[in-house]
Amino acid sequence: MVKKAKKVVKKAVAEPDTSAAVMAKVRKSAKQITTSSTAEYFAKNLQQVGFSSPVKAVLTTVKEALDNSLDACEDAGILPEIKLYVEKLGPGTMKNTDQIRIMVEDNGPGIEPDDVAKVFGEYLASSKFGRGRCSRGQQGIGISAATTWAMQTTATGAQVVTKTKGARKAFRCVVDMDLKHNKGLLRDKSTIDWARPHGTSIEFKLDGRIQLNGEGGILNYIRSTVLLNPHMTLHYEISDVPAASIERVVNTVPVVPQATEPHPHTMKLGEFMSHARLFGRIKTSVWLKRGFSRVSDKTLNDLVTKKGLKKKVLDSFVDALPDADFKALFAAIQDVELLPPATTSVLSVGEDGLALSIRRLGDIDFFAVLSRKPVICDFKPVQVEVAIARLRERRGEDNEEQVQVLRFANRVPLQFDKAACAIVKALTSVNWRSYGLKQPRNALPLGPYIVAVSVVSPFIKFKNASKETIDASDELVEELRRALMQTGQRLSRYLSREHKADELEQRVQHIEQFGPILVDTLGRILGASEERKQLATAGLAKILEKDTKGMKKDLAAAEGRLASYLEEKKSRLAGFFEGLEQEDQASVVDSEAAAPTAKVSKGKR
Amino acid sequence: MAKSPQVTRRTAKKQSEIISLGTELCERMLADLERAKRPVLTATKCSLDNSLYNPKVGFLTPGSKKVSSELNVSSVKKMSRAIFMLEILLRNVEISNINTKRELYYVAKGLVKHESKLRPLDFQDQDESDSVIDFICEMMEAYREELNCVADDRGGQTYSKQLVVQETELDGNVSTIDLSTLGTAPYQPKNRPQNLVLSAREPIDFCLIIESQGTANTLVANGFTKRHKCILIGAQGVPSNAVRAWVRRIQEQLRVPLYFFGDLDAYTMQNIYRTLKAGSAASLIRNSDFCAPEVKFLGVLPEDIAKYDLVDYAVKESDLQEGRALKKARDALSNDPFFKDKKNKELKAILDWLVKNKRRCEQQSFISVDPRDPQMMEKIIIEKIKNGNYID
Ligand SMILES: Nc1ncnc2c1ncn2[C@@H]1O[C@H](COP(=O)(O)OP(=O)(O)OP(=O)(O)O)[C@@H](O)[C@H]1O
Ligand SMILES: [Mg+2]
Repeated sequence: MVKKAKKVVKKAVAEPDTSAAVMAKVRKSAKQITTSSTAEYFAKNLQQVGFSSPVKAVLTTVKEALDNSLDACEDAGILPEIKLYVEKLGPGTMKNTDQIRIMVEDNGPGIEPDDVAKVFGEYLASSKFGRGRCSRGQQGIGISAATTWAMQTTATGAQVVTKTKGARKAFRCVVDMDLKHNKGLLRDKSTIDWARPHGTSIEFKLDGRIQLNGEGGILNYIRSTVLLNPHMTLHYEISDVPAASIERVVNTVPVVPQATEPHPHTMKLGEFMSHARLFGRIKTSVWLKRGFSRVSDKTLNDLVTKKGLKKKVLDSFVDALPDADFKALFAAIQDVELLPPATTSVLSVGEDGLALSIRRLGDIDFFAVLSRKPVICDFKPVQVEVAIARLRERRGEDNEEQVQVLRFANRVPLQFDKAACAIVKALTSVNWRSYGLKQPRNALPLGPYIVAVSVVSPFIKFKNASKETIDASDELVEELRRALMQTGQRLSRYLSREHKADELEQRVQHIEQFGPILVDTLGRILGASEERKQLATAGLAKILEKDTKGMKKDLAAAEGRLASYLEEKKSRLAGFFEGLEQEDQASVVDSEAAAPTAKVSKGKR
Repeated sequence: MAKSPQVTRRTAKKQSEIISLGTELCERMLADLERAKRPVLTATKCSLDNSLYNPKVGFLTPGSKKVSSELNVSSVKKMSRAIFMLEILLRNVEISNINTKRELYYVAKGLVKHESKLRPLDFQDQDESDSVIDFICEMMEAYREELNCVADDRGGQTYSKQLVVQETELDGNVSTIDLSTLGTAPYQPKNRPQNLVLSAREPIDFCLIIESQGTANTLVANGFTKRHKCILIGAQGVPSNAVRAWVRRIQEQLRVPLYFFGDLDAYTMQNIYRTLKAGSAASLIRNSDFCAPEVKFLGVLPEDIAKYDLVDYAVKESDLQEGRALKKARDALSNDPFFKDKKNKELKAILDWLVKNKRRCEQQSFISVDPRDPQMMEKIIIEKIKNGNYID
């Protein structure tokens, strides 16, 4: 089942997802200068890739290492079991920092010893380049940046232990970086016995600061990662937080769909030209058909007959094509009619996985999950998933805090710069009041909820290089809105049931409290006999019973709607609903058989 | 001497009447409950859209609209509170005890505090208990005062060298107050004008009601009441029940011409003066005893501004208070039967003028005509009365 460790290749030219400004700069400079400038470039611009503050340095290192472990396991078809340690060692060298040890250990396929230097010590070395796949890592920058930060702040490289399947011993070394030449240097090499059959452990000592709570906190990152990886088991020990283990709830490894070739309409001219260079000496017509999706013979014909492209451009070799011809070709192909890209390349967690995973986030009352079908937004395949849960622990009559929003891009949590993000734009534009949530005008809804929104696409467009904000195009925001509204509808089944039950209980309470007072007072004013008072009490009960009947009907209807909704989901989400369901049934029965003055169970406890 | 118009009016309810009204209401409710029938309480709708104005009657009277509240799950709380408060009020009437609304709030609080069973009735603030009291009054079509609930006797401070008031107290004791013996101190009328009998030591020429209590005081201090045989009253803004009933008493018992002197602005015309002259929509059921339809509007009149070259200023629609006053004035022009009736077309014309020109001229501006003459305002007032320079 375990595949052989992936060969790590280094590419001078990057994948189609090159919208990041960083990559553009790197490639531009790569033309004139040598590749060695790449490492120096990043070393000087670490803030652009997540090392802009001591707090972010720690979080980014954890994130890059964990993402890599998850990617590697997924690629190799392994169910990930990951250990994460973060601890404070002492004061850091920089102002307001501590020296932090971060270690991440996985049971992934391991890394061939020959590749270790490249992986941890070289920029733009990746097995994930240009695949157009929904892997977490994309660029071959992540972990090398962490090594750079460690080198810069503590002058120590990355301590690596790795073992591939079948190897008897594990390979252990320290990777230092030669920034001038963009090369990793290995030292203290040795082979050791390691209890794991395969896997990788990576450890950094670096300056930073541990922030546990809040939007940008490590715990929030863990929560988020846990939610979107139902197949992951995680053991963690962070600073003073008691060690914890979170077990997997799904026993299948997500299959990352095969990438489709890029779609011409998703490319810019520069990317289009770079793409050609990957193919060497082939005819332009062949390159177009082989290197892209949705380009057919008919397309080629249309280019010439409808868009006036010179036939000779298609017949010449692509590596010899003059820039002017490239431009003409690019313009023609942007203009020609093409089918939208296929949506088969997106990967989702799925409603079942989300439903199972979400209960790992705490003691939750109820939740609703939704996976939209993949769609095309801005000519790119996109899939949106939403999970909303209400946390019992945060309940309280006056919880007027904003809901906690968890954002994801290709299953990677986004923890900063949320205001301009497409997800937040969509969230605030939905009218949550109609689903039973509180919400100030044009703002996030309020209450003890977690709202997780995941966008998966091989071509996510970010607002900036630090990749924390998904570009809010109209089409994407609309798709997100649809997803949120559908989830809201699902959620409202719970809330309306609860609301009706609350209302009924309040009314029943009303009757119990005020009925006797009313009759007593009337009796006192009139000096009425006990007998009259009793008669009146019975009459009053009869009158008010009629009133609650209607409300009970409403409640029963709401219960019914919820029950059939749960029934529909039950077969798939068997485990979770066992407990909940009994309660539900109890309260349905309760309200139907209840005597007029009986308390109706609220369905929440 | 003005003639009193033919006025249909109810006579004030006697103590025994109130008690039987209250018990009847309770009896109906209890009987309904015994038969498992929903008690329905009906009250006159007290709002502008149920207000009628007949110029022969002279004040706003209730139309045929009723509001009824039926006992059900949602209203059971309100009804329980109402009956609870009714019990308190009836007891007060029985033992001739009087309370303000504020005091009744505390009476209710106290009862709840000592009887845990009653806790659900507890009032959170005075607004809650006030609205229950109003609800009871509407249901019984009784004045608050008839239920021995009196408001603060705000405004109405009265000065005169001729007026004599005879008051019969609740215990039957009669006392006589000769206002000429009070020096420059005012007489403060009460909320229950029914107990007052007025007479004059010598003929009184007129009664002047001044919007600003301060200005009334100034005029008296400068000798107004010494020079003129009159009654001078400070209204202190929107006239309270005490002021309205008091002026009514003067109109009825002394038959002297009544003049109102106040600011020229939308609020004064639409609210203060209208309420004094014709009552209000909120008090439809008791306007018959709580307004004085013979009061004339002495000014400030729009024409006075030019005539006396008065200092006036522009009203800003953007000002919260002034904007609201203008809005209410516009509303009154199209919905208030008092201003729509052609008998009051001159008053309506003033309101129209105010809304259109957005000017405002205060009563005190007469002083500016000759700032060195402390009697300037008095002179103009007297001149206006003499020349009939007012609106009837
Ligand atoms: N724990 C691991 N187990 C196996 N292979 C790994 C592991 N960590 C990294 N690699 C390999 O090293 C490569 C480089 O990792 P790196 O984090 O630098 O780039 P990336 O993950 O491809 O892209 P990104 O810069 O977006 O993170 C990966 O593509 C992967 O092939
Ligand atoms: Mg990575």
